[in-house]
Amino acid sequence: MLRIDQLKADVENKQILKGLSLEVKPGEVHAIMGPNGSGKSTLASILAGRDAYEITGGSVDFDGQDLLEMAPDERAHAGLFLAFQYPVEIPGVSNAYFLRQALNSVRKARGEAELDSLQFMNFIKEKIKMLELDQTMLQRSVNEGFSGGEKKRNEIFQMAVLEPKLCILDETDSGLDIDALKTVADGVNALRSPERSFVVITHYQRLLNYIVPDFVHILMEGRIVRSGGRELALELEEKGYGWIEEELATGGRA
Amino acid sequence: MATSLKSNSAPLAGLEFDPSACGVLTAVRAEAYQAFLDRGVPTTKDEEYKYTPVTDLADRYFVQGGPVPVPESAITEWIYGDLDQIRIVFVNGHFSEELTTSLRGVEGLEIRTLSCALGGRQEIIEDLFGKLVKPQQFPFAGLNTGTFKEGTYIRISANTKIEKPIHILNIATADANGATQYVAPRTLVVVEGGADATLIETFATYGDGPSFTNAVTEIHIEPNGHLQLVKVQQEGLKSHHIANTEVHQAPDSAFNHYSVTFGGKLTRNDLNVFLDGQNIHTRMDGIVVIDGEQLADNHTRLDHAYANCNSFEVYKHVLGGESTGVFNGKIFVHQDAQKTDAKQTNNTILLSGKATMNSKPQLEIFADDVKCTHGATVGYLDRDPVFYMQARGIPKAQAEALMVYAFAAEVLEKITVPGLVESLEAMLFAKLNVQ
Repeated sequence: MLRIDQLKADVENKQILKGLSLEVKPGEVHAIMGPNGSGKSTLASILAGRDAYEITGGSVDFDGQDLLEMAPDERAHAGLFLAFQYPVEIPGVSNAYFLRQALNSVRKARGEAELDSLQFMNFIKEKIKMLELDQTMLQRSVNEGFSGGEKKRNEIFQMAVLEPKLCILDETDSGLDIDALKTVADGVNALRSPERSFVVITHYQRLLNYIVPDFVHILMEGRIVRSGGRELALELEEKGYGWIEEELATGGRA
Repeated sequence: MATSLKSNSAPLAGLEFDPSACGVLTAVRAEAYQAFLDRGVPTTKDEEYKYTPVTDLADRYFVQGGPVPVPESAITEWIYGDLDQIRIVFVNGHFSEELTTSLRGVEGLEIRTLSCALGGRQEIIEDLFGKLVKPQQFPFAGLNTGTFKEGTYIRISANTKIEKPIHILNIATADANGATQYVAPRTLVVVEGGADATLIETFATYGDGPSFTNAVTEIHIEPNGHLQLVKVQQEGLKSHHIANTEVHQAPDSAFNHYSVTFGGKLTRNDLNVFLDGQNIHTRMDGIVVIDGEQLADNHTRLDHAYANCNSFEVYKHVLGGESTGVFNGKIFVHQDAQKTDAKQTNNTILLSGKATMNSKPQLEIFADDVKCTHGATVGYLDRDPVFYMQARGIPKAQAEALMVYAFAAEVLEKITVPGLVESLEAMLFAKLNVQ
């Protein structure tokens, strides 16, 4: 589904990604962990199409298409979804209007009929319950005045509505208390399916207790330096990132 | 009586003063026209026209064409679809009976052509007509007074609420020979004590020819009267539009004004409101969405003359292409106007690096116990929300249009005519080339 090959990217002439490779197959859940400044969020932003980065090498293939050549909205139409680390507030645009526009754009691209407001309300009814969101939030401006937890739940709610193929969760656990974290994780787990893949970017292993990954990758200095199963995350929690840095420095496995 | 003019050389070719057509108003019209002649067409050396060049009007040839037929199908957009309304329509300044709805039978509402109202109504001539315009200061108002062919007279009876909006639609058509079509809409409104109404003024053009609309609207709001005024500028891109709206508010009255500008090559609105008493509420808002080489200039003036009044003013501009926005907001708080609460805001979004905004708040305060604030911002569209919407599948142009819509909504959503708000929103998206 997603194949990242030797991806290199700069921001303001500083190399952030230094040859990153990753393959995600349908139905898989990959966790990407790494210390601050390792390039985790840069990776998420580049995949979603933010234009603040200069790609200097490598490629990204998404379902047979060159992802890097696509506009951000085309990526969404193709089935890619980024849950933002910092969801953006849009004063004056209601959640309902925004999400219906988004859904209809995606449906149109898929060749499906657009939904009128009544059909839309029926479509989202169950999903809004699942994320334990208050129905009144639909009439409020997008993310405006939302608590940190509400914003993150809103991201997963949007994900549930748009039904993407590949979901990238950028530090979705940051700023969440344990209850909100569980709600978010339940929402994600409910969306897991053999066709849908996830890339879960996180600093802490805590989230992975709830969203159990098939693979764990460690991102350091713009490269994936170690990959393994779930146990790798537990090892990180126990020992921190220091031991990997040491191993890399002494030319151990890498 | 100053029926003979000092100078006969009209500064605008084709627009001579014709005393024989002025009937009972000959004297007052001649005097106002003389004021225009004395002043001439303003140049950009005139502080009030610094950013708004109108001198090319002097190179035109103007015609005041006849009431050519405009098909009903052409006006759908200008009458806001099936919005329930009491409508009076003028084509090239002539009353159009075909496009006008029934004007009779609404209790408490007198609406008729100005020529009809003036016949035998001495009090209109003596107390109302032309009493608020100041041709020495606003030369185009003098030109209008000297040259208008027809107009509208509206009177809302005391303590009456008119439920349907009253709509004056002015259409200028293209001249067959390519001359500039000149129309001079003239409106006189009296809102009697305790009355309440909504007035929509729409300006549009039919056909693709140059035109010059030079409008004057005088509004008298008597004690405790309420008026909502929505002005929509939808003229073509070869149109000059100069308008002077003068409002006099008596104690305890309320006036809410919303100006919407999408059209016109050049639009200049002078809106002046005199708060002549205590406990008056005034709102004057505007939204300008223009692009290409369009120019829109809103000059507003509020005079707080007495204590305990409030005024709120929000003008928003969305400027694309190489367009130019001008905002000049004067607020005078006179010595007796203690406890005045006046707030002025002017926000601009530039959609292009070549668009220009000229914003000038002008507050002059002579009372010491008042709350007066003003603020102006100019900036580009915030990129983060656009990217966020794109990441959810909304194409960029549509995401930007949504941002503009949200920006404009603060003004549009205050209009209390629901069907009209929806139509204006649709026009806004059309202007931004998004459905």
